[in-house]
Amino acid sequence: MSRAVRSRLARADVEPGRGWTQGGTETTAMIQTHELHKRFASKIAVESVSFAAPDRRITGLLGPNGAGKTTTLRMVSTLIRPDDGRAEVDGHDCVREREAVRRALGVLPDSRGLYPRLTARENVRYFGQLHDRSGEELEREIERLFGLLDMGDLADRRVHGFSQGERAKVAIARALVHGPRHVILDEPTNGLDVMSTRAMREVIRRLRDDGCCVVFSSHVMQEVAALCDEIVVVARGRVVAHGSPEALRDQTGQADLEDAFVAAIGSAEGLHK
Amino acid sequence: MKLRHVAVVWAKELTDGLRDRRSLFSALVFPLVGPVLVLVLFRVMAEQQGADEPLRLPVVGADNAPGLVAFLGAHDVEVGDSPADPETAVRTGEAPAVLLIPDDYAERFRDGRPAQLQLLVDNSRNDARTSVRRAHRIIEAYGAKVGSLRLLARGVDPQLAQPVVLADVDLATPKQRAANILNVIPMFVMMAAFIGGMYVATDSTAGERERGSLESLLVNPVARSSLALGKWLATSMLAGASLLLTLVTAGGALARSPLEELGVEISFGALDGLRVAAVMLPVAFLAAGLQLVVATFARSFREAQTYLSVLTLLPMMPGMFLTVAPLQVGDWSRQIPILGQQALLLDVVRGEPLGPADFAVPAMVAVAVGYGCACATAWLLGREKIVFGN
Repeated sequence: MSRAVRSRLARADVEPGRGWTQGGTETTAMIQTHELHKRFASKIAVESVSFAAPDRRITGLLGPNGAGKTTTLRMVSTLIRPDDGRAEVDGHDCVREREAVRRALGVLPDSRGLYPRLTARENVRYFGQLHDRSGEELEREIERLFGLLDMGDLADRRVHGFSQGERAKVAIARALVHGPRHVILDEPTNGLDVMSTRAMREVIRRLRDDGCCVVFSSHVMQEVAALCDEIVVVARGRVVAHGSPEALRDQTGQADLEDAFVAAIGSAEGLHK
Repeated sequence: MKLRHVAVVWAKELTDGLRDRRSLFSALVFPLVGPVLVLVLFRVMAEQQGADEPLRLPVVGADNAPGLVAFLGAHDVEVGDSPADPETAVRTGEAPAVLLIPDDYAERFRDGRPAQLQLLVDNSRNDARTSVRRAHRIIEAYGAKVGSLRLLARGVDPQLAQPVVLADVDLATPKQRAANILNVIPMFVMMAAFIGGMYVATDSTAGERERGSLESLLVNPVARSSLALGKWLATSMLAGASLLLTLVTAGGALARSPLEELGVEISFGALDGLRVAAVMLPVAFLAAGLQLVVATFARSFREAQTYLSVLTLLPMMPGMFLTVAPLQVGDWSRQIPILGQQALLLDVVRGEPLGPADFAVPAMVAVAVGYGCACATAWLLGREKIVFGN
């Protein structure tokens, strides 16, 4: 693929704050980043990442390992400060208005450790309380989430000894307990078996249908293809392509999404399933 | 910072800590072991002292000096049969010392010439030292007595031969002597504070990061200071519980210690107990703060544990320092946590009059340092390098 095609694909010129049209309906970009840049010591983790994720859509950050996806998501979820550029959630700046951003976001981070000596319910309740939820309302919400995730009999067992899938369910319940309008999921299906992956996908779709803005990252092509309304392809700390799966196929002239991905990042690295 | 958040974090860390068997084990076992050790120590000391027991001093050649032997017998000395091999008996500790009376003793004694006696001792044996000193005193007393009699027989006042008399006047009251011996107990109590909070401090900082829950915790809309304060208070509480438990068991151990045999008398009422608790409890807040900030700084759980074990030795420092360099410590040391508590505790045990300010100032300094450490922990939790490692 020529340089010209690649640069046409890199839609890094999305203006922050401006609504954009998708399938004829106006949607607002609720999570957006503008030329985010971050370096650790001498290594540049994120060169320049700009994207906009609208409400009622699932936006997938797709890229090989080490492309800068996790660092980007950490900057959006206020855990690290960008060296340059900015990120906004709901119009709140991720550095200056951290508190407001944290309130609005539900985050499933890269590391999703639980407290092994607390029960599943206590783990989720702790985070609910830190979001200023309490009493009946909180307990009902926990019950609803556990029902949704189909984990009734696990609720009051200590988390120690839970399987990967069971842990993932507790972690996602914990991230959603305060009813966030925007959700960030870092490799949500990593390490999960088929059933757990299906359950997780179901939750993600449901969040979108409830009107949430969902951003998730993955290095697995199939994952992104199965879920995303929008794909942001990231490689070497930059956005190299941006669009719906169909648009990506059209623009690269590849019938297969995987080939489109390879064309976009310019190599086959990180495509292993 | 919101008090509500502090309370939520505090309650969670406390629940978590109380469910951790390791943390409970260390918080409970040390308070039981320490004082029992002190009890055993006192028992052994009392046995060694054995002031009332007759002195065992085998004599070789007792027939040469019936007068001396009779004097010894009258002064609570058990003159046993002479052992077959006196030197071996002393070396093996079978007898603390053996008195040798040479054959020419009687002759020299009669002529008024100094009659030589030999005391076989082994100076490398600590347990014999008190007995040897006693034997010296008694034999010297015999010599002085005979000397006086001789002078009298010649019409000379024996006091002429005694131009100077030196007598030790022990100014220490029994309570003060108790305070000296009991020096080890404050050390144990303060160490209990460090040991009681150790696992919670590690688990809620380095453990939180290693287990991967720190990232999730930090995306909540909660000030870092709320998190740090909640963790600090939970750690302080476990440390304080361990400290109080040690105080109670130490009290029990002392009640069963043969303190009177050691010439020590302490009267310790409930009020004194409360005073001691008031002096020591602030150490829990100090220990918890120090441990949190050190454990947050450590790169891993194991590293944190290593650092904290070293930190546990902190209460031993003042004692060790004073042994090596017995300085007259000025009043300024009372403002330094741990040193201050140690000094204040001695005052309480000595029964010195103390006002509220004497208690309040060292307590506030200790709690303030702990609080400062909690604030430093909050600051560390905002650092990317600390949260995500290097």
